Amino acid sequence: MKCWILSAIFALVSIMLAQNSAYRPDPSWRVPQDAALKPNPFARKPDAAAGGRKLFLRHCTECHGPDGSGLVKKHAADLQLSIVQDQSDGALFWKITNGNPDRGMPSFSKLPEPQRWQLVLFIRRLKRGD
Amino acid sequence: MRVAYITILFAFASFVAQAQESPYFVTYDHHLEEPGNLEIETSSTAGIPRQGQHFFFAPYLELEYGVTGRWTSELYLEGQSTAGDSTIFTGWRLENRFRPLAREHRINPVLYLEYENISEASRIQKEIVGTALDLNETNAEARATRAHELETKLILSSTAHNWNIAENFIVEKNLSENEGFEFGYALAIARPLATLASGKNCRFCRENFIAGLELYGGLGTTQGFSLHDTAHYVAPAISWQISDNASLRFSPAIGLTRGSSPALLRFGYSYEIRGFSTKLARFFGAKP
Repeated sequence: MKCWILSAIFALVSIMLAQNSAYRPDPSWRVPQDAALKPNPFARKPDAAAGGRKLFLRHCTECHGPDGSGLVKKHAADLQLSIVQDQSDGALFWKITNGNPDRGMPSFSKLPEPQRWQLVLFIRRLKRGD
Repeated sequence: MRVAYITILFAFASFVAQAQESPYFVTYDHHLEEPGNLEIETSSTAGIPRQGQHFFFAPYLELEYGVTGRWTSELYLEGQSTAGDSTIFTGWRLENRFRPLAREHRINPVLYLEYENISEASRIQKEIVGTALDLNETNAEARATRAHELETKLILSSTAHNWNIAENFIVEKNLSENEGFEFGYALAIARPLATLASGKNCRFCRENFIAGLELYGGLGTTQGFSLHDTAHYVAPAISWQISDNASLRFSPAIGLTRGSSPALLRFGYSYEIRGFSTKLARFFGAKP
């Protein structure tokens, strides 16, 4: 029994350490105001998030992890943090489109525009329960 | 042991290898390799001959690595086999692409610089510059002439309504011979067959296919800037993402002038190793 508890604590601590909850955004990575105001065309189509999940697993988990918590080693954003989730859909779309190549975030403009909006829709589902 | 393991890994990867990017074989767009990723690609150019010439098959291996978010480097190893002649190694190329602007713009420029150490027997035709290739020489004759070449390209690329539109302007200088500067161009457009991702994992969904069209050719040299005896091709192209990491491409190019081959058949298979630098560091004992 003790062994199980220790294992569970170890796993929990490992997960917490792997998360990049200390992430601070790059202040120079500013989203133009008109881009931030763009609404997500799929906001009322929650079914589209399934496609967003598939794209997230394909393109984003390498740095952000499968749950979006961000890998410390990659200096990747914890997408569950309110500092990310409080940004508008348009701002997240702009950041996915343009990337921040000098800080390791590539541009995903090669993805069709609807797929980038699907990613935004899925990222909204990464909010922490708390 | 590790060296043997890596060799086997590379051999296997090159066998199963492409990650879907654009379907282009000759034209470059502004999308670079993601930093730390390695893409291994095996491609081939098969030349359908004119009367009196021989069929050739020119495979090449391409290792593309994302050095930073704005710099991608590639190494090519190439060879060719000509029917009724021989199979030979024709040389190597090292290319670098730099993206000067960080953000997406209406037109996105990329600067391209390549060094080539190849022989005149090279047939992969990754770019068409200057005047048409002499396909009547035997491999023994052609391989005896080595060419150290520097090639630069200005790559301009745009995304509009899910279409990619790319224009490449090419200048090449043979450092081994006094041939002047050679010029060429490549233009292309492409679009995914579907722009919305489905929720299921599927191989044959339309979203996994990108179709495009390329137009490329030579524009002569500083010793004769004209279209006389130049090769030009129009080439439909398609890519198919067969898994998260791998994709296939195919492009039949149709020759438009007497200097062109009647047709070039190009096909490629590539595999992307995501986080390659991290995996390699871990393999050699770096702490996770």
